Amino acid sequence: MRRRQLMALVRKDLRLELRTRETIVAMALFAIVVLAILQFGFGTRDDDLTRFVGGLMWVTLAFTAVLGVGRSYVAEREQRVLDGLLVSPVPRTVMMSAKAIAIFLYMTLVEVLVIPLVGIFFVKGPYWESIGWIAIAALLANLCIALSGTLFSGLALFTRARDLILPVLFLPALVPVVIAAAGATHAVAGGPHDMSEWRGYCLFLLAYAILFALVSVATYDAVFDD
Amino acid sequence: MITARGLVHAYGERRAVDGTDFHLLPGERVALAGPNGAGKSTLLRMLATLLRPRSGDLEVLGHPQPDQARAARAGIGYLAHDPLVYLDLTARQNLELYGDLYGVPDRDARIDSLLDDVGLLARAEDTVRTFSRGMAQRLALARMLLHRPRLLLLDEPHASLDARGGDLLDRQLVAAQGDGRAAVIVTHEVERVARVADRLVVLRAGRVVLDEPITGMDPPEVRRRYEDVIA
Repeated sequence: MRRRQLMALVRKDLRLELRTRETIVAMALFAIVVLAILQFGFGTRDDDLTRFVGGLMWVTLAFTAVLGVGRSYVAEREQRVLDGLLVSPVPRTVMMSAKAIAIFLYMTLVEVLVIPLVGIFFVKGPYWESIGWIAIAALLANLCIALSGTLFSGLALFTRARDLILPVLFLPALVPVVIAAAGATHAVAGGPHDMSEWRGYCLFLLAYAILFALVSVATYDAVFDD
Repeated sequence: MITARGLVHAYGERRAVDGTDFHLLPGERVALAGPNGAGKSTLLRMLATLLRPRSGDLEVLGHPQPDQARAARAGIGYLAHDPLVYLDLTARQNLELYGDLYGVPDRDARIDSLLDDVGLLARAEDTVRTFSRGMAQRLALARMLLHRPRLLLLDEPHASLDARGGDLLDRQLVAAQGDGRAAVIVTHEVERVARVADRLVVLRAGRVVLDEPITGMDPPEVRRRYEDVIA
């Protein structure tokens, strides 16, 4: 039953996104614009910015995540459907998991664009052979973003100043994710790989995701039912 | 079906529902009326498990609230002012979603049957955004009935339903008595709802000021009774 409910909610989010294309397109355009601004800000294409590539990538993705997470309950809010979901016998953790899966997929799709662009814009040395390692770190970071983002967007949903509250709550929670994901990216991008450093950062991301999963499971009923 | 004692809910300092007692038996259809701000919708939202009472005891379909809210929700059909459907999904996709959320076993056949009942089978593949208000509310009626709920909670249903939807709802309410389903109908249209209700409950300032049977009474007489109480 829970699996059927979860699949139905994920399918609903993807159908809405396929029909409106509001979130993915906004996230992708935003990320590209930020990368372009950063490239202009840091100088010309002749400079090798490999040293900063982790930070450049993950600051961009962190702000993109805020944009995507901020839109995660837009359909329910604007079309006033939330009561329909809340009055149904769906466990709140299933609702949360469905939103987290949607955010995870949106972030992954944006990264399919952003990770190669970062290489083109900022890296002069070897980069493409590191893409696989960067992608693994990115998937773990996406897990953290999806789980924490879903929790904070749920909390912000019932506040009046939700557009202000969400970044104020969510961005500080993203700081450890940005540090670890940027560190993991830096460890493998543009030169000899430091796999022990990469592994350490990835383990941190995994632990952070587990922590937020536990916090979400413990609090999500209260978020929606109180 | 419902037993409520001393229910209280407040918005800030203002008590919208103030120590209300309420009960509902199987097969019973209660018209819940009162002036604006009397607490009707707040009480209905508490019965629908959408609001937690600040104090008091509430049991819905035999499940104490709020501890067993999910068990109660499986048997509740809720019709609100808004249709509670996604405008960018088709009528069928909306019903498929709710069918899966409620675990309806014969989902597709049930959806076809309900879409036919509410006159939307030909528009099943159209997005709700292209529907009129009355059509969207008829779809909401299908959404409410999809999982064969034992308890119907309706918030001013006739206000936004067109004639076809209103007649269908009235037929459902008449049939409800026979098969043991119960209904609470929040309304301003006392005279219309009196045709299908067994009991009139009137709220004023969050308290029950009238609770009496109306079976067999003429609708205009019920209306006069209601107006006497709220005057």
